[in-house]
Amino acid sequence: MSGLLGLSWRLLRGGGRSGLLGAGLTAAAVAVSAALLLFAVSANLAFQGRADREAWRNPVEARTGAVAVEAVRRDYVRDRPITVVDLAALEPGASPPPGLDRFPAPGEVWFSPALAELARELPDGQLADRFPGKTGGVIGDEGLVHPGELLVVRGQEPDSPVMAATATDDPRGGAAPTKISDFTGKATSDAEGYQALALIATVLMVVPLLVFGGAAARLTVARRDQRLAALRLVGATPGQVVAMTVAEAVITAFGGALAGTVLYGLLIPVLTRIEIAGGSWFASDMWPGVPYTLAVLAAVPLLVGLSAVVGLRRVVVSPLGVAKRETPPAMRFVRVLALLAALAAVPALGAGTAAGVVAVVLGLAFLAINLTGPWVVGMIGRITARTARGPARLLAGRRLVDDPKAAWRTVSGVALTGFVAGFIGFLSPAGGLFGDADATTLRLSVPAARAPQLTAEARERLSAAGVPARVEVTGGGGRRVLTVAVGKAAGDEAGDGKAAGKDKDEEKAAREGASASGRSVEGSASAAAVDRARTALDGLVPGRGATTAADEEVFSVLLLGDIGTGTVVVLTVSFLVAIVSAGITAASSVLDRRQTYALLRLAGTPLEVLDRARRAETLIPLAVMGGGSIAVGVFCAVPFAFSSVNVSGMVILLVCVVLGFAGVTGAGAASAPLLRSVTADPAPRPD
Amino acid sequence: MNAVLEGYDLVKRFGAAVALAGVGLAVGRGEAVAIMGPSGSGKSTLLHCLAGIMKPDAGEVRLLGQRVDTMRERERSALRRTRFGFVFQFGQLLPELPAEENVALPLMLGGVPRGDAVRRAREWFGPLGLGGMEERRPGELSGGQAQRVAIARALVTRPAVVFADEPTGALDQATGHDTMRLLVEATRGNEASLVVVTHDPQVARWCDRTVEVRDGRILSGEVRDGHAPGGPYPGHGSGEAVTRVFPGVSR
Repeated sequence: MSGLLGLSWRLLRGGGRSGLLGAGLTAAAVAVSAALLLFAVSANLAFQGRADREAWRNPVEARTGAVAVEAVRRDYVRDRPITVVDLAALEPGASPPPGLDRFPAPGEVWFSPALAELARELPDGQLADRFPGKTGGVIGDEGLVHPGELLVVRGQEPDSPVMAATATDDPRGGAAPTKISDFTGKATSDAEGYQALALIATVLMVVPLLVFGGAAARLTVARRDQRLAALRLVGATPGQVVAMTVAEAVITAFGGALAGTVLYGLLIPVLTRIEIAGGSWFASDMWPGVPYTLAVLAAVPLLVGLSAVVGLRRVVVSPLGVAKRETPPAMRFVRVLALLAALAAVPALGAGTAAGVVAVVLGLAFLAINLTGPWVVGMIGRITARTARGPARLLAGRRLVDDPKAAWRTVSGVALTGFVAGFIGFLSPAGGLFGDADATTLRLSVPAARAPQLTAEARERLSAAGVPARVEVTGGGGRRVLTVAVGKAAGDEAGDGKAAGKDKDEEKAAREGASASGRSVEGSASAAAVDRARTALDGLVPGRGATTAADEEVFSVLLLGDIGTGTVVVLTVSFLVAIVSAGITAASSVLDRRQTYALLRLAGTPLEVLDRARRAETLIPLAVMGGGSIAVGVFCAVPFAFSSVNVSGMVILLVCVVLGFAGVTGAGAASAPLLRSVTADPAPRPD
Repeated sequence: MNAVLEGYDLVKRFGAAVALAGVGLAVGRGEAVAIMGPSGSGKSTLLHCLAGIMKPDAGEVRLLGQRVDTMRERERSALRRTRFGFVFQFGQLLPELPAEENVALPLMLGGVPRGDAVRRAREWFGPLGLGGMEERRPGELSGGQAQRVAIARALVTRPAVVFADEPTGALDQATGHDTMRLLVEATRGNEASLVVVTHDPQVARWCDRTVEVRDGRILSGEVRDGHAPGGPYPGHGSGEAVTRVFPGVSR
């Protein structure tokens, strides 16, 4: 075996310039695949990491052996949520939560770095006054969901009123005081939801990656066909031929996977900046760790080797394994019927359809496009060839008819991305769906019995803080809602609705800031004034903060934003794969046909004609199939679209179309120098 | 001699290796010249220099008195497309194009409308014994048939000189003879000159003259008599071949 391995290695190194170039192309393809695969793995691990780091703030009630009480609630500053964790030790020596080096003493306050910074930046009356007490320290990374998270941990006495607060209705609002035995906790439902979305995104990215990696492997094998057939002729056994080819493919792929790992490492600083759920990532989130890296480094060459074996079957079966060139039979129309059948099911779908059914129909449509692709490419080829007047078009058309599957492979990545873009682009909710809720009326749930007293106290606090507001009590039953309309005229408050003088400048700046961030600021109430009111009202009801309707929407707004970000990430990866694969295919087609191209050039065929033919050969099917896929994607999205055409979706679509064409054109153009160099050989010989 | 193509004192080096060490050769109108020599003798390099594929390091190449070696690549490319025809050993036909379009391609590259180009290409199929093969693809043709399609493609533009590099190298002897006969007849019928590079004396015998190349120099220039147009062909006693009418002649 070591002899075979040695021979494979010598064959790989001795393959000459074009052989090395082919191996290099495969290695490059594998490198991109491996880097993206590492990204896909890391993304899942990163969400897992966030879920783990957040779990301690989602307490699980301890039946026995409680050592501490934990209460969690949301507070807000500007349009950002703050997580407020109150901790009281029931026994001395309770172990501290993640990120803190000791259990916070009563009265102590621990800030996350981002919150500490924000508290310094904003006037005390807007934020810092909410968290009085001695600063205990800074919360370390292991206790934070993301580097920019606003988190505060306060030490409390076990009998503090805060530790006796009741739960809010919204699970996102936090957790009522809970007796805990340790800080293990459990993942929040939001975190689990993100993990599920990450998994779907992974599937969307990994499937094309695997196809791409496999194609790259077969590409190496295709060029080895002739040489391996020669080896068979001199008496190598099928086993030896397979072993040698696989060894060669695996060596190349391993080199590519190593390069991909390095590439991914270099990309980490960029990737950590992708904001999801309101924050970016720790560099450690994006590093998959040694075991997973080793797994990718082992799995990728293995998969490539496997594809190589599949691709080699033909050569092994027959020593004369060179294909006969005949007009291939036209693709079956059944392929189109499959697509039509899948599409026929779409109008039956609707917002009420079970998610599983939708996924299946979408998956079928996706697959059906892939099936229909070669048929359409063949048809376009026949039309192009029939109507061609010049040589370039004729060459392009004939080539499309000759091998529609190969032509489809070149553009399928981009075309299928078109489907995803069409679907998401049409479906993505309009920006105005959320984000215009009232951001100036604070609401606070209060016990009915204490409502009058608390109303009076609220007015007093607001007036002391110099915040004009109208305070009312609404609702019925055991709990009433204290509504504080910041900046609104009120009979018993600073009457004309103008903010107090000292707030004016601050307010103006804040309003500009607020409108820039898309939040509406009604009347004269500013984000700054709202935060002053929030700070003034803090502690009015222990364990509760006053929130606006806009605050309660923050998570929905974030989620929508994250879907957008996720879309862009998935589309970016798809495009990368598609464009790299278009480039590789273009280059390999030049290599495969270098003898014919070189002889044509010797006989005086201008290179421009060959280049134009190659361009037409990809762009014509791309235009038809890309457009078709987008249309199918849009068609599939129609039953779910809640708004009419939405601008951001159309922008995504348009950007995709432009990127697709530019990318594929660029990828093809990148192989023009290769064409030039291989056709410069005056005595071209096949491998 | 009424020379169509002339090379004077051609020198070509590849690094330290000297492929041509001062070679001169003139090819007359309608003349068929065989360039013979063992592998590495420089015969292919001589063909490449004469055909404007390579620039010699020294010396001159003239086509009908016009310097070829000083032209830029673009001009030489156009010259190869319009004034020269090429027949290689194999691999020169585009596998996805039907035979007739392979033949029509040089015309289309020259700007002839497609319908016209295909019509003119089809005229070559009968005389070359390819009747009915017009729409077959190269994969569906035998080696000899594919070479005949290549001959048609080389001649369809009515070139001044046809260059053939081991045109029968991939064929069996009988097919090779047939192919050479057709190549010589068709070239001559078009009043084109023919330059054939070969290491096969049987192939060389079809030509009017054989030039021996060794180590980048010409050893001898043997002129063979009795190979005038219409004359008997070695190994094929009859003169039936010349009764064929090639498109170039009919015009």
